[in-house]
Amino acid sequence: MTEIIVSAKTKLADIIMQDKRALVLFPRFGIELGVGNRSVKQECINKGIDTDFFLLMVNVFLNKNYFPGGKLKKLDVDMLLRYLENSHQYYLEEKIPYLEQLIEEFKKRVDHPATKQLERFFMQYITEVKEHLAYEDQTAFPYVAALSEQVKSSKADISDIDYHIGVFEERHDNIEEKLSDLKALLIQHFPPHNDRYIRIRLLNELMDFEEDLINHARIEDKVLIPIVEQLEKKIG
Amino acid sequence: MSETLLIAEQSEIIRKGLFQITHDLNVFSSIKELACPSGIKDVIIRYKPSMLIVNPSFINAQGLSELKELTNGEMPVIAIVYALFDDDYIGLFDDVVMVGDTRQKIRKKITELLNKTLEKDNRKPEDALSSRELDVLKLLVRGNSNKEISDKLFISTHTVISHRKNITQKLNIKSVAGLTVYAILNQIISMDDVS
Repeated sequence: MTEIIVSAKTKLADIIMQDKRALVLFPRFGIELGVGNRSVKQECINKGIDTDFFLLMVNVFLNKNYFPGGKLKKLDVDMLLRYLENSHQYYLEEKIPYLEQLIEEFKKRVDHPATKQLERFFMQYITEVKEHLAYEDQTAFPYVAALSEQVKSSKADISDIDYHIGVFEERHDNIEEKLSDLKALLIQHFPPHNDRYIRIRLLNELMDFEEDLINHARIEDKVLIPIVEQLEKKIG
Repeated sequence: MSETLLIAEQSEIIRKGLFQITHDLNVFSSIKELACPSGIKDVIIRYKPSMLIVNPSFINAQGLSELKELTNGEMPVIAIVYALFDDDYIGLFDDVVMVGDTRQKIRKKITELLNKTLEKDNRKPEDALSSRELDVLKLLVRGNSNKEISDKLFISTHTVISHRKNITQKLNIKSVAGLTVYAILNQIISMDDVS
């Protein structure tokens, strides 16, 4: 896939046509399909989205090597948090239930003693993902919100929160490891079985989820963490 | 396919005959010919053939084992025999082709030998776990720590860790939960062992 750099003039439809990953990205900004010929700028004005913010997110999400650089300084933290929470909601309400449904179907179609254990392993994985998302939603994000509030108004006080963003980093590893194991089991180790494409669908969906999570993590690493570090420095 | 065959034989009639028969097989993407014994090693190093058909007078028992060593035993060597040689010497080759052999017979020998080598290849580092690795895997998926495994198998934790690394490399699975699924799939343990 060739990576595209999106600008304010780019048509929304063109972005999706060229990179299907944009499909899951747009709803996180409240943009629904039926985009006609509207450009990024037009749609952002219609929907009250900060265009620079939209461009930054889309480009970091779609391009591995895109580096936001100086654009971070102007970025609205609340907007960023809302975006991240929307992504989490998509995982929890859309992606994970669908994966669960596919695993259930796989279990029905593939009659093998190991299938039950695979399901158990998969549920462990899902639990870990959910815990991780809940941790971010309940601990990390509120901390960032409070921090940004304090910098803005110097009213809110975070001195009693015993936490800082350094803890946030290094938490994605286990989740990626388990997902990679699930893939290996389905690709290499489960014996061939006439399962009517259910294994392919499951894998397809798992790999899609994996990629989405990786891109999501990149936004957290390249955008959220640097911003929070700046805020932390300001408070000292 | 990038299989190369090397035919080392001084008689042009025989060499060309073998070339024709093996060429029609469609297994080898390239067939090299060598008309004299000198430089056989260099040619093998250069082209890394997947099979050698050689006149036994080109080398001797020691030369043969040197060639085997040079290719890590991955290159089967067939003797093309139309003179008298010592039986013990000829026995060292992977197979023998006689000048009187029919086309079908020669082809059968070549494909069988090639298949045998490929199978050995496939099973080599990747798939199968060694019996020691199986021991470690069994204990691991039953919930034992590295320390417990090392006590039970009378090996150092360092060795346990290195076995675990090899298991992961062979299976592409890192987590204990993932290895458990593998172990049940392959009947290394049963469902009852884990629940």
